[in-house]
Amino acid sequence: MSDKKLILVVDDDIDLVEALAMKLESLNYAVAKAYDGVEGFDKIKSRRPDLVILDVMMPRKDGYQLCDELKKSDEYKDVPVILLTAVTDAISSTNYTHMGGKTTLADDFVSKPIDLDKLMEIVEDNLR
Amino acid sequence: MKETVPVVEEPGRSKILVVDDEPRIRDACRMVLSEEGFEVALAADGNEGVQMIREEHFDVILVDLMMPVLSGFEVLSYVRESHPDTVVIVITGYATLEHSINAMKRGAFDFIPKPFTPDQLRAVVAKAIKYNRALQDIADTNSRLKTMVNRLTDGVMASDRDKKVVVANPAFLHLIDYHGEPVRGRAVTDFDIGEQLLTLIDQALVMPDDTFTELTAEITRTGEGGERIVRATCVPFRGRNGVTIGTITVLSDITALKEFDRIRSDFVSMVCHEVRSPMNSMMMQLKVVLDGLAGELSGRQREILERVSEKMNGLTTMVSELLDLSRLESGLIASEKSAVNMAELFREQIAFHEANGARKEITLTLDVPESLPPALANQRSMEEVVTNLITNAIKYSPEGSTVRLMARIENEYLRFSVRDNGYGIPEEDLKRIFDRFYRVNDENTRAIVGTGLGLAIVKSIVDAHHGSIKVTSTPGSGSTFTVLLPLADI
Repeated sequence: MSDKKLILVVDDDIDLVEALAMKLESLNYAVAKAYDGVEGFDKIKSRRPDLVILDVMMPRKDGYQLCDELKKSDEYKDVPVILLTAVTDAISSTNYTHMGGKTTLADDFVSKPIDLDKLMEIVEDNLR
Repeated sequence: MKETVPVVEEPGRSKILVVDDEPRIRDACRMVLSEEGFEVALAADGNEGVQMIREEHFDVILVDLMMPVLSGFEVLSYVRESHPDTVVIVITGYATLEHSINAMKRGAFDFIPKPFTPDQLRAVVAKAIKYNRALQDIADTNSRLKTMVNRLTDGVMASDRDKKVVVANPAFLHLIDYHGEPVRGRAVTDFDIGEQLLTLIDQALVMPDDTFTELTAEITRTGEGGERIVRATCVPFRGRNGVTIGTITVLSDITALKEFDRIRSDFVSMVCHEVRSPMNSMMMQLKVVLDGLAGELSGRQREILERVSEKMNGLTTMVSELLDLSRLESGLIASEKSAVNMAELFREQIAFHEANGARKEITLTLDVPESLPPALANQRSMEEVVTNLITNAIKYSPEGSTVRLMARIENEYLRFSVRDNGYGIPEEDLKRIFDRFYRVNDENTRAIVGTGLGLAIVKSIVDAHHGSIKVTSTPGSGSTFTVLLPLADI
């Protein structure tokens, strides 16, 4: 149990959290779950995760905010953060980055719709 | 600089008044000038002359300097004061240079010494008429321009090199909430036009003479009518020798447009979250089930779920593209345009797509003249347009064919076209080809994946550039998409 890596999944969509958890658990990770940014931070403080998967759009505290807080704290700045973003880069070739293009300190991001297998690869890469 | 074609208005018969106390001179003038087709009126002294000038307009007045009662000088002063459009020629009784110079100083256009020959008279009058017409043309052009500028709903202001106002229309003054004294000749800094606009004007003034960029800014103003969002566009204004002599600023009130855009943007985020998110998690759930993490699946169950998965993928892609289009359109409301080197852009795009073409053994060719003047455009939007057209051409062409990109100058436009030898577009589909989600569905294209948004995006970009896009096509032999874009140097 203790040698399993702990991954915290934070998303306001319960079904998505459950599906992600099932996949992660099948790959032998331990999973903690939270459903908004505030709860996410509480979970981090109660038990330090090895990696955080964070949705961008959430009630109370969004993913960008939580990510910033973690990355600016001495204690948690080393925990890898992967952002799940609904904003694709599909038209970053045009000017319109007012919805995306936000600079974040996250280690990686996966745009929705999420390719589950690709997300698992990114998780593995960031745990090395 | 382009030559302006003068608008020739049907000139009525020019009216000439001859004021001289010598009957012999009056009659001689009448004879000569009537023969020339002028309408000639005569006055025997200064008083009578002034009386006639008061009653009707004359284009040219010939006036003797030395007359009893009211001298020619006095007539001249009267005309100069109250009839600026009238040209005065003085007749000097005894050819003293001194009198003539004196009269010229007081505003006479020319002089003719007595005695004169009919030819001399004809020459001096012809010169005066020509000058008068030129004056009239300038006055008409100014009046026409002034009326046009004043009728515009957009605010327009021209300032000179020293940032003094040359002209500002009522809409401009209204948009800066100024309703006071005339503004001509005053410094632009005297008015509350805001830091942003002053910066634009400064930037436009220092822009190198060989570049042309339209500077834009979105300015939020809090004035009498509440908060207003104004889009400002500023360009340098150049004289005959190409040196900047001032700036032209155009203001458009886009408050309503922005409000509409905000509502749409809210709607877009709503769709984003409320539709796409559940679809996302449904796809994840499906994936988990398909991966066997929720128990073994029978072959039939797997088959059905895989098809559900495929359909959901398609839906998700469509929502993404729709959101892209929506975002693109709102972004175009205020995208900055500058002089874009299209020849360079074409070369880059052709190089970029060569590999895609090669996969189908399709050759890409480029035909651009040596010196292609730049277009006034947004660089990234143009890349999007060209990419879309080339991608389509490759997609809808059979293996081994050729896609040609050609560019030319046509009137004041840059005209470029992308031609393929592909499947072509049936005539009934042509007029709807730029509609959103419209796709040609026949045996050749059925297997080609697309959402029907590419050309809609292309058209909205071209429209936002005040350009046009047209398509011609022959089924079985290919299609040509032709785009016209305004040139930067206009």
